[in-house]
Amino acid sequence: MGIAELQSYGFLTVTIFLTVALYAYIYHLYKNRKDADGHDYEDYADLALNDDLSDTPVNAKNRDK
Amino acid sequence: MENRPLEYDYSVSKLFIYTSLGIGFVGMLVGVIIAWEMAFPAINTIFGDGAIAEYTNFSRLRVLHTDSVIYGFVLSGVWATWYYVGQRVLKVSMAESKTLMYVGYAHFWIYLFAAVVLVISLLMGITQSKEYAEFEWPLDLGITTVWLLWGASIAGLIGLRREKTLYISIWYYIATFLAVAMLHLLNNLAIPTYYASNGIGAWYHSVSMYAGTNDALVQWWFGHNAVAFVLTTPIIAMIYYFLPKESGQAIYSYKLSLLSFWGLMFIYLWAGGHHILFSTVPDWVQTLGSVFSVILILPSWGSAINMLLTMKGEWQQVASNPIIKFMVMGSTFYMFSTLEGPIQAIKSVNAIAHFTDWIIGHVHDGALGWVVFMIMGAVYHMIPRLYGREIYSKKIMATQFWIQTLGIVLYFTSMWIAGITQGMMWRAHDEFGNLAYSFIDTVTVLHPYFVIRAVGGTLYLIGFAMFIYNVVMTARNGRRVEASELHNTTPMAD
Amino acid sequence: MFHWLEKNPFFFALAVFATIAFAGLVEIIPNFAQSSRPLIGTTPYSTLELAGRHVYIKNSCNACHSQLIRPFKSETDRYGDYSLSGEYAYDRPFLWGSKRTGPDLMRVGNYRTTDWHENHMWDPEKVVPGTIMPAYRWMFVNNTDVDTAYAEMITVEKFFGVPYNKPVPMKDGSTKTIKMADTLHQARKDALAEARIIVKDMKHQDVIDAVEVGRIPEIVALIAYMNSLK
Repeated sequence: MGIAELQSYGFLTVTIFLTVALYAYIYHLYKNRKDADGHDYEDYADLALNDDLSDTPVNAKNRDK
Repeated sequence: MENRPLEYDYSVSKLFIYTSLGIGFVGMLVGVIIAWEMAFPAINTIFGDGAIAEYTNFSRLRVLHTDSVIYGFVLSGVWATWYYVGQRVLKVSMAESKTLMYVGYAHFWIYLFAAVVLVISLLMGITQSKEYAEFEWPLDLGITTVWLLWGASIAGLIGLRREKTLYISIWYYIATFLAVAMLHLLNNLAIPTYYASNGIGAWYHSVSMYAGTNDALVQWWFGHNAVAFVLTTPIIAMIYYFLPKESGQAIYSYKLSLLSFWGLMFIYLWAGGHHILFSTVPDWVQTLGSVFSVILILPSWGSAINMLLTMKGEWQQVASNPIIKFMVMGSTFYMFSTLEGPIQAIKSVNAIAHFTDWIIGHVHDGALGWVVFMIMGAVYHMIPRLYGREIYSKKIMATQFWIQTLGIVLYFTSMWIAGITQGMMWRAHDEFGNLAYSFIDTVTVLHPYFVIRAVGGTLYLIGFAMFIYNVVMTARNGRRVEASELHNTTPMAD
Repeated sequence: MFHWLEKNPFFFALAVFATIAFAGLVEIIPNFAQSSRPLIGTTPYSTLELAGRHVYIKNSCNACHSQLIRPFKSETDRYGDYSLSGEYAYDRPFLWGSKRTGPDLMRVGNYRTTDWHENHMWDPEKVVPGTIMPAYRWMFVNNTDVDTAYAEMITVEKFFGVPYNKPVPMKDGSTKTIKMADTLHQARKDALAEARIIVKDMKHQDVIDAVEVGRIPEIVALIAYMNSLK
């Protein structure tokens, strides 16, 4: 099997993988609607709207070091 | 509010805004000059045909135009917004970390220094000829440094963030950083001849690692995606922040924005082949380039439609707020341009369009209509917030909007006609099977369109000068406003 | 999997990178070796030709002139045989261009002569009425940088095995050897010898005088390069 043939198989595999991954992602987004932390994805649109330092984060990160 | 200890620090953002305005004006001015030179070649030697002619000639100025606008104006505009949006959506101030401030300043000053060297070297004719990657290796290293500093700033701000989730704009900034780093490094691989030959010749000269067809393939993989990741993804990052913020409307569908992101990431990189259709690169690469260009309509329109639908129910704002006008018109031009591009990438269309002015027209409706409009919209949104002042003049903004829109329309319509005319004339045969036109026939016929284009460009430049004036006057003389007035719609004086 | 990516900036960045790097790998690597193989009859550039190529690049001639003939009748009628990959094997960088404000130059050496270029570069309007190409008179004054061309020859020979001083097969079965000098001094002499041949067909007195005293104006190198494009 030459390099060209190997590459064509590699290409096919990765393309199928990425296509499946993309559709799985669409399915994931629209089925769950919420991410792992229980926030609706659409809530994240507020990140642009409530963006003062004093505003409460949508999904706060623990900054204790 | 008065004794709040911590505020966002916009000092680096301000520096980048002024750089963007300055280089933007110069870059567009050079563009207008070379547009007039194409219409009236005598302008090439306006200062005589002696030693100075070398520096007023189309060939030297053309590179200066493209590179100063892309890397001078757009990149500093992008960074101005990064140092503004980045802090806000991550809810962290740069002032919280001394290191981040140093990185920001180093990023700016090294960038400015590199920009000055770049201008001088291009005027001197020091170039490796690859489009948008003209710079020789010392400058390439400088660009790499600047880029890594930006990367450090992104990583630093993300590391300190209070908001765990990265907003979609941040995704696009990250993608911009990664893709350009990869493209820049791979396309510019070259061997400095001075060192390889033990000290002979010019020290800055280098020779490409790739030859001929390979060089072309790598270059257009770079060239196409430089457009993608300098002129598209960071601009999408901007609009995803500034349009919702200015209009007070949440993004129409956040999920759609995530999907379009991955779609764009995956598909964009394939399409570079459409720059070298019917060339000597393998056919399958050309076909891939063509097919993926057409598929690219989907994620591009995904973003653009998402932006337009964000205005749903609030369309009166387009009439009342010139900043929204800029952004909505920008999205519209983005849709238009991402439809036009794929059409030109269809092989049979490309056979006519390639090498003609239609391509130039396409670049400019994207650049002038989408990129510059978005950056101007973003700056108009930021300036009042950076200075706590109201926009100096809404009237100037509105006038400027229409002058520039007219400029763009003149530009792309004339270039369409010019491109298709020339493409058809090149391939015309008479009844005996001989070529119907000599090459010069296909040049002289373009004169009126070159004039119209130059007029369009000049109008656009006038609008840009009005923009600079308005921004500077806002920063200096705009009426002071309270922070509470700056939440969504930007306050403007008539 | 997706939840996890969205919350981990580092792995998110890796995923983005993998997605964008994929296309380049697939498109560029497979035919890399094949695309860099020279055609029979394609020779490396001589010292003066290479110096002329640098003049061409320095003045961004490629901004308005392509060097890529597409396989259409209208193009082969106008410019000659369509381009083949192997013809570019020694082109670093490639100079296909992306815009034809002026005509293609891939095979300009077949149908334009030294004195045509000389007159045209001095005053294009006189040679081609109606042209929008500006004059390039500084090329008649500025000196050619032969040293850098020589340095590049050494480099490409050392790193990419470009066959200088080796017989290169030609189409008629014979071979041709393109010389690369051993020393810089010799390289300058070689370039000057090439320049003398070009200048024989030139009329511009300043240029003739310059070559007489051992200087090579840029125009001479540029014409040497143009004549080599066949």
